[in-house]
Amino acid sequence: MNRNFKYNRLWLPLLIVALWLPLSASAMEMDDCLGCHSDSDMVGDELVIDEGKFTETVHAEMGCVTCHESVTEEHPDDGEAVSNSSCLDCHEELGDEYMATSHADNATCSDCHNPHQVHGLNTVSGPDMNAQCFQCHEGPDVMDSHAEWLPQASLHITKVPCITCHTAAEGYDIVLNITQKQDKLKGYRFSSHADLKEYSGEKEISRLIDIDGDSHISLTELRTFNLNPAYSELELGGTLVPNEMSHNLSTLDNRYDCTFCHAAGPGSMQTSFLALPSEDGLYQRLTVEEGAILDTLYGTPNFYMTGSTRSASMNIIGLIIICGGFIMPIGHGTLRFLTRKNRKH
Amino acid sequence: MTEEHSDQEHQDQIYLQPIPVRIWHWLNAFGIVTLAVSGAQIRFPEYISLLGSYKSAIYLHNTAGFVVAISFSLWFFYYTFVARTMANLYVPRVDDLKSGILRQAKFYFLTYFLGWENPHHPTPDSKFNPMQKSVYLAIMFVMMPLVSLSGIFLTNVDPLRGLIVMVGGLKLLAGLHFLLACSLIAFLPTHIYLATLGRTPTEHIKTMWTGWEDEEEGHGEESTNADLVTSR
Ligand code: HEC
Ligand code: HEC
Ligand code: HEC
Ligand code: HEC
Ligand code: HEC
Ligand code: HEC
Ligand code: HEC
Ligand code: HEM
Repeated sequence: MNRNFKYNRLWLPLLIVALWLPLSASAMEMDDCLGCHSDSDMVGDELVIDEGKFTETVHAEMGCVTCHESVTEEHPDDGEAVSNSSCLDCHEELGDEYMATSHADNATCSDCHNPHQVHGLNTVSGPDMNAQCFQCHEGPDVMDSHAEWLPQASLHITKVPCITCHTAAEGYDIVLNITQKQDKLKGYRFSSHADLKEYSGEKEISRLIDIDGDSHISLTELRTFNLNPAYSELELGGTLVPNEMSHNLSTLDNRYDCTFCHAAGPGSMQTSFLALPSEDGLYQRLTVEEGAILDTLYGTPNFYMTGSTRSASMNIIGLIIICGGFIMPIGHGTLRFLTRKNRKH
Repeated sequence: MTEEHSDQEHQDQIYLQPIPVRIWHWLNAFGIVTLAVSGAQIRFPEYISLLGSYKSAIYLHNTAGFVVAISFSLWFFYYTFVARTMANLYVPRVDDLKSGILRQAKFYFLTYFLGWENPHHPTPDSKFNPMQKSVYLAIMFVMMPLVSLSGIFLTNVDPLRGLIVMVGGLKLLAGLHFLLACSLIAFLPTHIYLATLGRTPTEHIKTMWTGWEDEEEGHGEESTNADLVTSR
């Protein structure tokens, strides 16, 4: 929220200037462009734009020509190369941050982002974020190099997206996803919209958990979902993701320190979201009642970060048990001391 | 221990704790204390940092966990297959349950204070009194296997995810591990305290170190004990 506000305030005037002229002409032109560029028979596989995906993005509002300014009326017959505008023109803040890192020599913006299919941090799942990195960093290599210092590296990499450790965000949230059993040995995978539709039938898939339909998940709703025998194949898994995007893509020393994640004072780990898949493969987030991650029994049975998601009531039970162990020595010991004369033979 | 002279030396003593048992006992004791301290740091890193970094606490905990789990298996193997006294020593007999526990409880909580004798006299064949038997049974046959098993699950969360879900989830498993750990920790003060209830406070503790316990006068089991001692 905050960041978008800042963005709008700084960039809106600039944007309006930049977009105004082309916008008026391009409303029609975008359809023209897509007339050819959404059809692989016309332009070949390389130059096809996925129309369905593009029109859903915020970039679609700008039209094609905003970014491809040099395109002429005669295109493609003029044989002229078409210009591509630079991401940095509009994304100065994130762009500068990224360009200052040494990773900028290794990958350009479009290596990770398809400019025609952009999506925000809040609409992608952990595995999808990691898929961007896995294009160049091979999965097995990453596992091996991280396993050298990180116990249970494969668990971490599925639960902690790369950018949680390799970018410098200010805060982190826990995002819950519905996962489901696949083959016996393979464990769980993220459910797709279609998967969940099989369970919800006519209803919206959000109603699987959000029973009262208020777009907010209460602890009771979580419990009901977790205990429903009809959903025994479904499980809520958690991922720890930045709550705002940073592009300071580097190796941050404090991520060596496990207590960056595995220690937290009281009151932390309170915020969480539920991410539901939509038909286009992206995700939509619903807020979850505070403290769900810490709830001992039902909140999210399958997310537990030692050190930071311990439950306070469990601590009290543990303390009582340990104190119980001192009843015998103290009680018996006192009587033993008082009656010591009886045992002098 | 089979040599003549040691037999002489220990004339009025019985050989109660054979070497493998003593090694196991101290390995286990040391292991559990290590596990308790490192486990505490794993759960409460903001308050406890005795063992340095979080990572070293985890590595230490995992290592000690496997040492304890393996030594537990050896212990089990030794008593069941080598000494073949597992059932005898650890499983309470019918009369233990009917009257033995009561008799022993009466001693600990009443007649002990009056200065009476312990009704149970340990022999290599029957080391534990009926109360000890029941408590050790619960600890060695229920809690230790469960804490080790849950610990092994927690070191392999990703590969064993399916099983963990079947058990009721990671959170429940970690909670179980924690509460079992607390129970074992709670057992320590009681255990150590009871160990001081011999004729001298250090008697039983010395026995666990040297293996030999002073024979009490006037009890009719010497001959069998001597046989047992020399046959070992
Ligand atoms: C009549 C069909 C047609 C229309 C309409 C059309 N294009 Fe193209 N476009 C093509 C073809 C064919 C090519 C491949 C040309 C080549 O390889 O020389 C192409 C190539 C391109 C390229 C890639 C050039 C390169 O150098 O890789 C871009 C960018 C492009 N078009 C953008 C647009 C935009 C923006 C519009 C709308 C303003 C548009 N096109 C409208 C058919 C079309
Ligand atoms: C936000 C800016 C932006 C918008 C809006 C945009 N493009 Fe692009 N487009 C780019 C960039 C940047 C590239 C170069 C990508 C690269 O370097 O791989 C590109 C590349 C292309 C290509 C070359 C093939 C490819 O996919 O790399 C085509 C064709 C194309 N655009 C067509 C379109 C059409 C048609 C539209 C409107 C429907 C459009 N673009 C809207 C930024 C944009
Ligand atoms: C002409 C201006 C312009 C250019 C050029 C441009 N963008 Fe954007 N982009 C925007 C605007 C406006 C938004 C919406 C506001 C925001 O989220 O920052 C946006 C949003 C995004 C988003 C977030 C999408 C979402 O749904 O939240 C991504 C990712 C993105 N752009 C990547 C790129 C990349 C990569 C390039 C270069 C290939 C690029 N943009 C070029 C204007 C531009
Ligand atoms: C190494 C991969 C990588 C590179 C290179 C990269 N990004 Fe990103 N970017 C990401 C990831 C991962 C996200 C999270 C959302 C997603 O997956 O699209 C993201 C998100 C964004 C967003 C959306 C932020 C939000 O708040 O939702 C924008 C805008 C963006 N990037 C712009 C850029 C620009 C501009 C560049 C080039 C200067 C760039 N990115 C280069 C990986 C990259
Ligand atoms: C287009 C290919 C490409 C993509 C996509 C890519 N990288 Fe890289 N990255 C490289 C190359 C090449 C290097 C340098 C060689 C190396 O260290 O493997 C590198 C290096 C790194 C390094 C080590 C650099 C340092 O400063 O310590 C990190 C960390 C890294 N990448 C993380 C990521 C993450 C996280 C993503 C996904 C968000 C990602 N990369 C996506 C190509 C890529
Ligand atoms: C728990 C935090 C964490 C996560 C999650 C993580 N990394 Fe790293 N990564 C690190 C740290 C710390 C280093 C530095 C290790 C070193 O120098 O020995 C590192 C090193 C690297 C390097 C450089 C060394 C090498 O292996 O070549 C690359 C590349 C890299 N990470 C990529 C990734 C990718 C890709 C992902 C996601 C699949 C990822 N990392 C997930 C913390 C993390
Ligand atoms: C960026 C955050 C992050 C960092 C840094 C991190 N972890 Fe984790 N760790 C997690 C998350 C998230 C989980 C998995 C929670 C889940 O799926 O239940 C996890 C799980 C674990 C587990 C599995 C046991 C359990 O009961 O959950 C161990 C062991 C562990 N981490 C140890 C470490 C060690 C050791 C380090 C430092 C070398 C470290 N972690 C660094 C976030 C992190
Ligand atoms: C015997 C085998 C044992 C194994 C394999 C084992 C393993 C584990 C594992 C894997 C964890 C999660 C953190 C980590 O990876 O280190 C853990 C946590 C813990 N263990 Fe153990 N453990 C064992 C026994 C014990 C015992 C005997 C105690 C205490 C007497 C103990 C106390 C703890 C505590 C307090 C935690 C923190 C739990 C939490 O945060 O919920 N563990 N153990």
